[in-house]
Amino acid sequence: MAPTAITNSIRRLRFEHGEMTQQELAERVGVTRQTINAIEAGKYSPSLEVAFRMAGIFGVRVDDVFHYGGAPQSPKDGVP
Amino acid sequence: MSFREKTAWLTLCAIVIVTVMFWLHSPTGFNAHNHHWVMLALLLSLGTYVCIEVVGYVVLRLRYPRDARTPRDERERLIDLKALRFAYYTFVIGTFGGIFFMLHLVHAGAGTIGTVVLAAFVTAQLVKHAVRIVYYRRDA
Repeated sequence: MAPTAITNSIRRLRFEHGEMTQQELAERVGVTRQTINAIEAGKYSPSLEVAFRMAGIFGVRVDDVFHYGGAPQSPKDGVP
Repeated sequence: MSFREKTAWLTLCAIVIVTVMFWLHSPTGFNAHNHHWVMLALLLSLGTYVCIEVVGYVVLRLRYPRDARTPRDERERLIDLKALRFAYYTFVIGTFGGIFFMLHLVHAGAGTIGTVVLAAFVTAQLVKHAVRIVYYRRDA
């Protein structure tokens, strides 16, 4: 899967939460360790559900975990 | 290596082993004289494939019980869908391309066309599992 325009702070948040391992986070989120690794490396963008679950585990908002680095979109974008 | 990648390797190896065995030991194509032999070879190949898969899967489950219990997550489902798409195109192109080639250029009989369809199916399965492995490796 191609690298995405979304960056994240998962590694920092894991260390701030008692040096949580990828395996521990994966078990709490309900995905595999390889998926956490792919998300952390920016190779895979998770679904909203997984993103919210991660944010909930770290006790922060979703946009504290994930950051969109692409060009800002106008409100018309995405409207059919 | 994730559990799903291990199972993809297992299936890929099983298909390669069984396919090589089948093509080395069976006559080419169905016809009125050998169709019993070919059907027997197909059934034996299918049985061998199922045995390799079942034994291999049980061994993997016993060696990696925690990984095996982890349900397939969204990324793995996405990888499976992508692999299925590659396999679908391989099957369609292989089947229709093979039938066209055999009918119009070689003037082959129905038995040979059956073999071509079988080959397209096996190739599609190989492609599916190879693509799964590539995607798992790339994201590991």
